Amino acid sequence: MTLRVNGSTHAVELDARTTLLDALREHIGLTGSKKGCDHGQCGACTVLIDGSRELSCLTLAVSSQQREVTTIEGLARPDGDLHPMQQAFIDHDAFQCGYCTPGQILSAIGCVSEGHADTPAGIREYMSGNICRCAAYPNIVAAVMQARDQMAGG
Amino acid sequence: MSETLFPQSSTLGQPVPRYEGRAKVTGEARYASDVRLARTAHAYLHMSAIARGTIEAFDLAAARAVPGVIDILTHETIGDQIRQTPAIYQGGYISDSRRPLGSAEIANWGQPIAVVVAETFEAAREAAHRIDVTYKLHPSLAAGMNSPSATTQTLEPMTIGVGDFDAAYAAAPVKVEAHYSTPAQHQNPMEQFATQCVWESDRLTVHEPSQYVNNVKFGLAEQLGIGAERIRVISTYVGGAFGAKGFLTQRTALVAIAARRIGRPVKLVATREQGFTVSGYRAETRHHVQLGADSEGRLSALRHEGWELTSRGDAVAMGAVSMTARLYACPNISARVNTVATDRSTPGFMRAPGEMPYAFALETALDELAHTLDMDPIELRRVNDTRTEPVGGLPYTSRSLMRCFDEAAAAFDWKRRTSQPGSMRDGDWLVGWGCATAFYPTYAGNSAARVRLSANGRVHVSSAGHELGQGMYTMMAQVAAEELGVPVERVTVSLGDTDLPPAIVAGGSSSTASVAPAIMAACDAIRRRLGVDGASPAEIMPAMEASGIGVIEEFAETRPHGVPPDSMKGLYRGKTFPVGGVHLPDRVQFALGAQFVEVRIHALTHEIRVPRAVGAFAAGRIINPRTVHGQFVGGMIWGISSALHEHTEIDDRNASYINANLADYLLPVNADIIDVKAIMVPEEDRLVNRAGVKGVGEIGVVGVAAAISNAVFHATGRRLRDLPIRLEHVM
Repeated sequence: MTLRVNGSTHAVELDARTTLLDALREHIGLTGSKKGCDHGQCGACTVLIDGSRELSCLTLAVSSQQREVTTIEGLARPDGDLHPMQQAFIDHDAFQCGYCTPGQILSAIGCVSEGHADTPAGIREYMSGNICRCAAYPNIVAAVMQARDQMAGG
Repeated sequence: MSETLFPQSSTLGQPVPRYEGRAKVTGEARYASDVRLARTAHAYLHMSAIARGTIEAFDLAAARAVPGVIDILTHETIGDQIRQTPAIYQGGYISDSRRPLGSAEIANWGQPIAVVVAETFEAAREAAHRIDVTYKLHPSLAAGMNSPSATTQTLEPMTIGVGDFDAAYAAAPVKVEAHYSTPAQHQNPMEQFATQCVWESDRLTVHEPSQYVNNVKFGLAEQLGIGAERIRVISTYVGGAFGAKGFLTQRTALVAIAARRIGRPVKLVATREQGFTVSGYRAETRHHVQLGADSEGRLSALRHEGWELTSRGDAVAMGAVSMTARLYACPNISARVNTVATDRSTPGFMRAPGEMPYAFALETALDELAHTLDMDPIELRRVNDTRTEPVGGLPYTSRSLMRCFDEAAAAFDWKRRTSQPGSMRDGDWLVGWGCATAFYPTYAGNSAARVRLSANGRVHVSSAGHELGQGMYTMMAQVAAEELGVPVERVTVSLGDTDLPPAIVAGGSSSTASVAPAIMAACDAIRRRLGVDGASPAEIMPAMEASGIGVIEEFAETRPHGVPPDSMKGLYRGKTFPVGGVHLPDRVQFALGAQFVEVRIHALTHEIRVPRAVGAFAAGRIINPRTVHGQFVGGMIWGISSALHEHTEIDDRNASYINANLADYLLPVNADIIDVKAIMVPEEDRLVNRAGVKGVGEIGVVGVAAAISNAVFHATGRRLRDLPIRLEHVM
């Protein structure tokens, strides 16, 4: 099958049971998306599919064909400039171990584009599908607010 | 006050952004399971489904028939390829004393009993589920502490007796006596327990998230019966650890054996459920506390006895009465610790391992005493504050407890509190304010580092310390930049690899306190090479230029106060552990703090919220307030979680974990956390170690659970002495 990831087409031969997460990590070599539970409970595997945030561990690779998948590796511009959300996570120290971070960032982009980032309370609610065991939550909220304003301006 | 602190510097004490920040926000940071090795086969564990018994037979036919299956390891197929070795508590390396796939005996639910190796993850998973096991059940102690025939053992070396507790308690005009308990809890780092092993001729490379790569290396060498020089363990990034990745577990040798058998790299990523028994955890504890005081609140008698669940194979106890007995002035003390052996996997370390449960008991009891005395709980701590610990009369190297209470109380606006329970109701919300002491022993251990200075002003630091998220890369760069007078951006750092100079386990909040002095010592050696011994940082680069030398590289090892000289060989054998706290002959050393929380309980729904928490901590020198702030705030949220969320629930029939997943094992999510403020109280302590660092990774957790239970009492008038506190307990 072929998968469109970060603007590139990948031809892969996969087991019908292979999740999009495992296809990305084990077959395409994009290991930025993380496996934290494999059950859709932690959010570490969050990617954007056709611009919407989805759990790649609960998405079969076969059902992702003909759709545009964006992973953490696809956010920065080719010249290396970071996406405002990536920069905001650095600016606000919105991570510690970094393992949930790719999922947090992609989920945060989804949160903003859905219009759920108007208030800190809204961000907290709509970012609650992404567990951060280091508990950088207050800094994540601050980062989303900064990037929200920049994404609107840009 | 500030003029007595360490001199201001351009680098140390500055909120330098994380060294690896860009790698972590772009997905470039490679965690153990991200490393891609050619021709990798995938392993999947099959775990025991009973609490205790024997494997009578495996039926592997259906598993072997799954297309893509390469090999299946059981105790029958691997024989004696893995040796019996002592556990960490017996002077060895591994986190429990069971030999991996060592026999047909089952000692607990969730014990690895077979490993499937297949071409794909999907095939390995299917085959592992198709393994059929016939068990012979043995009578088991599956009900944990409630098991009627469980063996209780008092740990005599942990027993403390000072003065005459019984007489003093009998004579005390004011008394408090209560029992407390805390549940089983699991660290649940976001990164699962992954291991990749690859053999190149007779050399083995292990990619595994670890808090102690040299423990894995030397322990694995012992298990496999090969020279340690043939093993390299790499752990560049760790996706959270919290004690779960401190020591070698059974899985690593299994993956190494599997890779050797099939002659290919093998990758294991244990599932979240399997992770609940792959490593240790925080076991259930029970406590009996008795406090006697005079009418002014001065303690005359203190007794704290703890009971901790352990496995039948390993008598593991955290035993933090050694700390709760030494926190406050009191002339008559009795304390002891017991283990209760049951059919569970061996417990281990979880962030603030003994400090969290034992502080919950003592600090709740103190609040009960304050209430009995009608005394402000802060003032109760003040009248019992001390400069020397009461058991051995040893001095604290520094102690800023009351300054922490005063700063946190001011930030919290504690003076607005009315003491009567239920008196601060706000509409439908019952409001309670509570506080408690936080403490964590200051530890350090032997460590080594290498520092390379180039004529172009670039510096490279290397040490087998670990980045767990605490900011180790960043802080070690800051230390070298400060010492050598170069901008921090010119410093690169390598950590987490057994090929680097060895360092202490990243546990006990001891990494910075241990590795920073080694880096400083290596920088001293560079100064000596340049003939500018004792020179200021600003003089280093001019001296380097004048010398005409292109590159200077120096290695240094350091041994903290109280660590015996002959322990240095342990540094080179993966056996360096934190020393300090209450285990020194001449002094005690602690970071201290004060925790304040507001609890709101809805009068109709009984929903429990913590809208705000304030902690103030005095932990010596703060190398990086940005990363340290993350440690304090994260720790405090762990504390909230320890009180209100986390509870590993156990099925009494087979000692299985009912909620071994991230949906049912409750953890705080963003919506649970509103306003958490951490205050860094300036403190200088030049005795603890050369860096003046006390360690910050764990203290943030300590005391929060007591502050919450005290606030729940203040809100409702109900004293809840068993964690977690859930809405059904406040109905």
